[in-house]
Amino acid sequence: MSALRPRKSGGVLLIAGRELSAYFDSSIAYVYTIAFVLLANSIFMNEFFLVGTVDMTAFFDLMPLLLAFFLPAITMRLWAEERRQRTIEVLLTLPIRTIQAVLGKYLAALGLFGLFLVGSLPIPIMLFALGDPDPGLIASGYLGLVLFGALFLAFGAFLSALSGDQIVAFVVSTVLGFALVLSGNDQVTAVIDGLAPELAIGTFLHESVSVLPHYDTFVRGAIDLSSLFFFGVLSALFLWANALVLDANRE
Amino acid sequence: MIRVENVSKRYGSTLAVDSVSFEIAAGEIVGFLGPNGAGKSTLLKMMSTWLPPTSGKIEIAGHDVTKDPLLVRHQLGYLPEHNALYDGMRVDRYLSFIGKARGLSGSELADRIAWAVDKCSLQAVTKKLVRQCSKGYRQRIGVASALLHDPPVILLDEPTHGLDPLQVVAFRDFLLGLSEGRAIFFSSHILAEVVAISERILIINHGKLLCDAPLSALEESARVNGGDLERTVLEIVKSERRFGDAAPEEVLA
Repeated sequence: MSALRPRKSGGVLLIAGRELSAYFDSSIAYVYTIAFVLLANSIFMNEFFLVGTVDMTAFFDLMPLLLAFFLPAITMRLWAEERRQRTIEVLLTLPIRTIQAVLGKYLAALGLFGLFLVGSLPIPIMLFALGDPDPGLIASGYLGLVLFGALFLAFGAFLSALSGDQIVAFVVSTVLGFALVLSGNDQVTAVIDGLAPELAIGTFLHESVSVLPHYDTFVRGAIDLSSLFFFGVLSALFLWANALVLDANRE
Repeated sequence: MIRVENVSKRYGSTLAVDSVSFEIAAGEIVGFLGPNGAGKSTLLKMMSTWLPPTSGKIEIAGHDVTKDPLLVRHQLGYLPEHNALYDGMRVDRYLSFIGKARGLSGSELADRIAWAVDKCSLQAVTKKLVRQCSKGYRQRIGVASALLHDPPVILLDEPTHGLDPLQVVAFRDFLLGLSEGRAIFFSSHILAEVVAISERILIINHGKLLCDAPLSALEESARVNGGDLERTVLEIVKSERRFGDAAPEEVLA
């Protein structure tokens, strides 16, 4: 009979592999990736030919709104589907820790998001072929995108575990995602402040809640440690909360 | 091998399992009977580490399910009530995934998968998607995945659910062949299945363990009272008194 072989990091990779296969076994990965890449590239190209500057700022400015919609579509199924199919009981009675399962699924979602980003590479390749864009600016913009995606994926996975229903997880993640992005927009801030000037709620949301100011530092070419810390700590917190929710909601 | 000590599980104001205690040694196959909603699955879920007990203590192969859940899971083969499987995976890949998660690799993993496929007669479906398999095959895939790592303790929740009569007979023989050195605990609400496999029977209703007796004791009680085994079990469930606390005649009264 079997000897004890506790799994360590291998458990995370095993779950990630299974989850990535699940994305590609269904049409989810193909549909999401093709839709995202077509949309992102075509919107940028439109802007590029209108303005005619050889940089990716327009692309990076566009991404938060697009990802606020596409990333919940990746994460909505992560735990809600396990609950619907009741496979969560099989998964979480295997000899792996809950946090390993959470990290495995998160890694798979990051992998699919990575594919989105790979699909955008024709843009910098084209820019370098046409002119002399600032490589540092492009690299820091991509770093901002990765951090933004990492946070939204952790947030979406947490909501998928919390809601237990894919549609609810998608709608709540998308609405909150848009709120987190739009609250950092200057015009939105001004409108909210205008509703109750004495409370300055718009300014509060802009400065303390929105992810956009942190993301913008990377888009403008600065690698700000406090923004790195903001994305890193919040992502870790949502992953930790995800594991807590799963352990608390066993039925 | 299995020790359950005063275990209770409470959901709000409902006591799903009420101070249940029993032990199962290696080599025993114990059947667990009870009507729907009696607390069978809740107890098995606690033994599998899926649910924490509200109070009491469960030990599997010497490890506490609350304190050492990972060690318990290594020693455990568990088939949950609804036998949920990853529908989108191919059967052989599903078994490989479960085997790897249980620490198997290389030739050992291949050998164990081949063994499980053979014992559970899955040869015809290994390259199919799980969702393409019939209910009987799905049940056998669940059993195969529970036994893949050769565990010393096996918990099966309604293992014959969905199997046709021939498959039930084959499964009984298979389980009997596995019993040496292992503790096997399986639930069912069909008396004939339990009687055919186990020599010891536990009966639960409304969360209370009403009977923990050898099959021979139940048969003797049925004989003394001039009834059949089915009626005896039914009366135990209805009486809600622990079998053995009252005289066999009273149980049928």
